[in-house]
Amino acid sequence: MSENYVSNGDNQLVVFKLGREDYGVSILQVQEIKRMLEIARVPHSPNYVKGVVNLRGNVLPVIDLKKRLGLAPGECTDDTRVIIVKVADIVVGIIVDAVSEVTSIDAGSIEPPQTIVNGVNAQYLSGVGKHDDRLLILLNLEAIVGIDLESGKIAN
Amino acid sequence: MDVNQYMGMFLEESREHLQALNRCLLDLENEPENLSLLDEIFRSAHTIKGMSATMGFTLVAELTHEMENVLDLLRKEQLKANEAILDILFQCVDTLEQLVEAIASEEEVSLDIKPLVGKLVQIAKGGPLPVEAKQVAVDKTEPLTSELQIDDTEAKAIQAANNQGLRAYEVQVALREGCLLKSARAYMVRNALEELGDVFKSVPSAEELEKENFGLTFSAIVLTDAEPQNLENCVMSISEVEAVTVLAMSEVGVSEEVKKTDVSDKTASAPEKATKQASDSAQPATDKKLKSGQSVRVDIDKLDSLLNLVGELVINKTRLEQIGLSHRLTDLVETIEQMDRVTTDLQSVVMKVRMVPVGQVFNRFPRMVRDLSRELNKEVNLIIQGEETELDRTVIDEIGDPLVHLLRNSIDHGVEHPADRQAKGKNPVGDIRLIARHEGNNVLIMVEDDGAGINPDIIKAKAVEKGLITQAEADKMDNAEAVRLVFLPGFSTAQTVTDVSGRGVGMDAVKTKIEALGGMVDVETKVNEGSKFKIKLPLTLAIIQALLVEVCKEIYAIPLGSIDSTINIKPSEIKTIQDQEVILLRGQIIPIVRLAKKLGAEELEGDNKEELFVVIVHMGEQKAGVIVDTLIGQQEIVIKSLGKLLAGIKVLAGATILGNGQVALILDVGTLMQ
Repeated sequence: MSENYVSNGDNQLVVFKLGREDYGVSILQVQEIKRMLEIARVPHSPNYVKGVVNLRGNVLPVIDLKKRLGLAPGECTDDTRVIIVKVADIVVGIIVDAVSEVTSIDAGSIEPPQTIVNGVNAQYLSGVGKHDDRLLILLNLEAIVGIDLESGKIAN
Repeated sequence: MDVNQYMGMFLEESREHLQALNRCLLDLENEPENLSLLDEIFRSAHTIKGMSATMGFTLVAELTHEMENVLDLLRKEQLKANEAILDILFQCVDTLEQLVEAIASEEEVSLDIKPLVGKLVQIAKGGPLPVEAKQVAVDKTEPLTSELQIDDTEAKAIQAANNQGLRAYEVQVALREGCLLKSARAYMVRNALEELGDVFKSVPSAEELEKENFGLTFSAIVLTDAEPQNLENCVMSISEVEAVTVLAMSEVGVSEEVKKTDVSDKTASAPEKATKQASDSAQPATDKKLKSGQSVRVDIDKLDSLLNLVGELVINKTRLEQIGLSHRLTDLVETIEQMDRVTTDLQSVVMKVRMVPVGQVFNRFPRMVRDLSRELNKEVNLIIQGEETELDRTVIDEIGDPLVHLLRNSIDHGVEHPADRQAKGKNPVGDIRLIARHEGNNVLIMVEDDGAGINPDIIKAKAVEKGLITQAEADKMDNAEAVRLVFLPGFSTAQTVTDVSGRGVGMDAVKTKIEALGGMVDVETKVNEGSKFKIKLPLTLAIIQALLVEVCKEIYAIPLGSIDSTINIKPSEIKTIQDQEVILLRGQIIPIVRLAKKLGAEELEGDNKEELFVVIVHMGEQKAGVIVDTLIGQQEIVIKSLGKLLAGIKVLAGATILGNGQVALILDVGTLMQ
């Protein structure tokens, strides 16, 4: 693993599992990784927003990533984590089944996503990477959070 | 001596004293005879002088020194405060402010204070009353009896003090041979004595003492209720003091006591002076601030980190609680409960600490209004209400400039000249009200005047003239819309006010700034009656009282300001009128809102309840009854924004974090009622 520890932050990813597949997000967008928190439901919120949590006095929305990506829902286990990410100016948490590792990926190994990968719509993906015989599906957090890069936010 | 470590303190305290000076001078304008005000002013100037001399800022020290001389004459009533003198004093305060700010920004100080100093010296010399307070340096070495000359005024003051139970003592101080810093020692003695009473006169005069124009001895007359022994001990505790003699001065030179007719005036003001001294002997010169009580200055960053740490503490405590419960460790759970109480209190206190009363911004306005109204020849009465209303610190910093602009507008364009006002049958003095209050989840700040109002037709014409709108659009507008044209960029006022100093001219700048804070600004006006500018600011970090309710195991908060009352009803009391559920309350028909349904919450049981809890809310004139499962209680909550992602949800006004770390959502009553 140590040979993968490259100092170039642009290519470092946090790898996590949804179901049985591996996904990755750029480490530059990740603030912290927490165990499952108590989530308060928010009425009339988009269906992929599970609710809000209290993080050190800040109220943050939490997105159910599987629901957002249209994947089959699953159970909450001891491995379930909430990754707190910051996209544009917005801080949200995303629920994942498990966090595996932090790794680097070669820019050359990344391919643009096809229309549908694993049942996930390409608009939410920023690419697919080959890493150690595995396929890492790289996520486009802006699209997942729903930010229109011009206005700031579009509610679904 | 390294003065840099004291720089922060010097700046903060100087600014505070300058603010106090401003405030007191303004009050003095209305009450020129108020001796206690003069005392306060003197003390502030004196303190600034002391601080600046210690720090080596000679310009400030010199200016305050000259001010002190004039102020001393004023408070001894050897000089009467008139407009000219007050103006000079105001100018001095302004100059001092400039000097202090220059020091703060470490700029080269290029201000010439000679003209002001000259004026002050002239005033000091030209005192109309015959007695000259300053005396020539006396170089005695062994004064043991009181040989001091007391003039009439001073004698009267002593008499008056005696009547109040204070006594006058002459304190003779001899410094040690070879004492190097005589003036500093004399200053320290004077300070020490001031803590016990009022140093009313010194021989040689304060000025001579400072210039070291004396031998090794000097005297001071102190009015105090302390024992002579205390005075003696107090002075002896200062180093390089060789000897102290305290002589009572009960009946010195009080021959022509009751000659003038304004003695009653003197005795009336003396009690004020006396009580001031009495309270001062207990607490050295404290400024009266908005809130009485002591305070400590804290760095904002420290507060922020404190807040964060407390937040994390609460989270960890909650986790401990869960562990305790899941492993059934009763001891742990009990201990955690105790901890809970403490952390809850800690959290609420820390969150309140960031809130700042809006009066902090308001307190510089009276001076500004006074200056501006003088400049424009208008008479304005500024009324400030609601200065205790609290806002988050960041908002406070930003709201100052827009308010300044609105106030300027009111004085410049709103309030008419006194002659015009009288012609209209109005009071020649215009009223400008600055009001702050909480309303629902917002803070409302209003700038209201009873002046000329804004004429929609004139505005329309000007807007068309500047090409901001077309004539056709202008014709279609109603008056309310027309008046709002003033907020358009490019719509500047006809006569520019002097001294805009880069703050950004125009109502457009005001609107932009307020919207950047997440608020809104609007205007209501009536020609010849006046205008009202309303600023609404959301409370991103403000505290309100709320009622916590439970609906389907979820906790929600309803702002108390929107609540009328809470009642219990039986399900049978709910009637239906045209598909809308209502109840009859005290003869009024009130529509019912089932909160569970409105919020899409899963109802756990059916309507098997015998009793329903209903919260009667109101928005303006309309009322509604909101059905909840249980009422938890009233609590102060801190409003947190839901963030950009969820900001669009109409029924929610925000979120709050309860003492146990849980998130509760705050309901927007207006939307609920629709």
